[in-house]
Amino acid sequence: MIKVSHLRKEFELSRQQKKELNTTADKALAVDDLSFECQPGKVFSLLGPNGAGKTTTLRMLSTILSPTSGSIEIAGVDAVKYPQEARSKIGFLTGSTGLYARLTPLEIIDYFAALYQVPTKEREERKKYLFDLLNMNDFLQKRIGKLSTGMKQKVSICRTMIHNPEVVIFDEPTSGLDVITAENIIKLIRDCKDQGKTVIFSSHIMSEVDLLCDELAIVHKGQLKYNGPMSDFRQNMEASNLTEEFIRIVQR
Amino acid sequence: MIFTIFKKELIDTLRDKRTMRTMLLIPLLVFPITLTLFVNVSSSFEKKASEEKLKIGVWGDLGAKYWNQLEEMPDGLGKKELQNFEDSAALKRAIEQGEIQLGLIVPKNEAELAQTKKTISLTWLFDASEVGRQERAESYMNYISDKAESARLEELGVDAEKLHPLVPVFQNCASDKKMIGQLAGGILPYIFIAFGFIGCMYPAIDLFTGEKERGTIETLLTTPVSRWQILVGKMMVVVTSGMLAASCALLGLFVSIEFLDIVDNKEILDIVHGILTPSFIIAMFSLLFPLVVFFAGAMIPIAVYAKSFKEAQSIITPLNFVMVLPAMIGFFPGIELNAMTAAIPVVNIVLSTKELISGTLSVGYYCISLGIMLLLATLSVIVSYRQFGNEARILN
Repeated sequence: MIKVSHLRKEFELSRQQKKELNTTADKALAVDDLSFECQPGKVFSLLGPNGAGKTTTLRMLSTILSPTSGSIEIAGVDAVKYPQEARSKIGFLTGSTGLYARLTPLEIIDYFAALYQVPTKEREERKKYLFDLLNMNDFLQKRIGKLSTGMKQKVSICRTMIHNPEVVIFDEPTSGLDVITAENIIKLIRDCKDQGKTVIFSSHIMSEVDLLCDELAIVHKGQLKYNGPMSDFRQNMEASNLTEEFIRIVQR
Repeated sequence: MIFTIFKKELIDTLRDKRTMRTMLLIPLLVFPITLTLFVNVSSSFEKKASEEKLKIGVWGDLGAKYWNQLEEMPDGLGKKELQNFEDSAALKRAIEQGEIQLGLIVPKNEAELAQTKKTISLTWLFDASEVGRQERAESYMNYISDKAESARLEELGVDAEKLHPLVPVFQNCASDKKMIGQLAGGILPYIFIAFGFIGCMYPAIDLFTGEKERGTIETLLTTPVSRWQILVGKMMVVVTSGMLAASCALLGLFVSIEFLDIVDNKEILDIVHGILTPSFIIAMFSLLFPLVVFFAGAMIPIAVYAKSFKEAQSIITPLNFVMVLPAMIGFFPGIELNAMTAAIPVVNIVLSTKELISGTLSVGYYCISLGIMLLLATLSVIVSYRQFGNEARILN
């Protein structure tokens, strides 16, 4: 479960950034008083246009960034106070996640299993399960740099799931992927939901959200514009389709 | 956990061809190749110059006095072929055009000067841009001059010893080890500093800026490993790489001296062997280790700050000059390790290593040098940690 309460994130602006943003302000507000809950066994979608604050929010949930104020609870752990403990319960995957090109998939998976301190017996079982599930056995010994995008994505998925996390965070996971490769991610999100994991994913593609999510939050300029079940969103929409409804809410 | 990160980063680094080139291959081969080339080329030039048969033009030698002396000169002083010239301008022109290699001008009043026991100036013409010409002229001149001096003393009936009441005898009291330490001791720390820096450079950029550029740092930061553990694991690889590069350069130098006949003097070789004892190597590495940690600590904040490999490289490369320039202090004789120089980073390491080679390093100055470098290394690690913990810097 993820509980987010009054989350706020300000970034100090460097001289260069001030020039680029054409502002004299010392700080930029990326996330403004965000509160929501993600339940286990459900897919929670964070929808918003580019620059809405989705990635910043997810980075705070995964404790890469620390919030300016507010609280985050990850699977019962206060992620602000105990970030390391919270991270052990999280699997994090982004569409842009690079992999170490000079290592093999097997080396990468072993490395991350060691970082997550997965016991040896469990590690071997998880590896076998994931390699079979993702059909990875043929390229385990090849260097990442020589793999196709689809193969790399499978390695990323395996890396995210090697420690069997309770909470899985996907930051625009299908961004830049073709339909076939993106299908692996869609399947993974569904599997996580079926396994009772808490899933949160960010996207700016309404059709993807419609396909997967149970709970929806729409953010724009760091603020929460909508939060509720996807079924309610569909039922109460005023526009003719989901994309137009999303645009209507954002522009409200 | 630190070891897990260290092991992975080391494997990753060792598989990077660019890093391998700068870390192992270039340092290992640079001295054997350059020294072999240098020694072979210079010795072949010297050999060619000494074996070359020179054409010597002579002008003004009316009684063929010097012509005869030159002809009877042994070939050991250099083979020659004599040619008479009618005027000095033609002689000069022939040298300029490379037709002859040396020219001897005998003054017109030579006979008169000889008779009145005056000094006779013999002018030698040569092309200084050609190797060994002046040396050949000097050896011929010494031969002629010695003969002339003996003849004149005999004419005067003077014993040569009576003309030289004092003969200076200079005796060097410094040990050969000290001499080598002071004269050539600067090269060792210079090599270590230069290659230690280069060895740190690529891994530092690759493991920090490279991870940012490739987007892998974000994934690493979501693992339950603390940032200081990640930093230390990565830093250990940067330091290892710097130490390896420097050690490979020294190994290359040692191999050149030992197996490539670069030093043909057995006494010097024995002294070098005497210097390279296990205790010397341990003491030298104890001085150089904090220096390499300091290099790594200076580069990591830059690598974390930079947004691209190119940007990091463009900042770190000029830093190379700042760090390596003080290392040149070791080449200057007369600059000694004292309380002040022991407190100047990099300079203290160079001078301490020199004294270590000479066997004159004082424990007090060694401790000051080591203490200063350890302090600096610690500070650089703290700065690296702060920069690595700065969330605005760590993510692109």
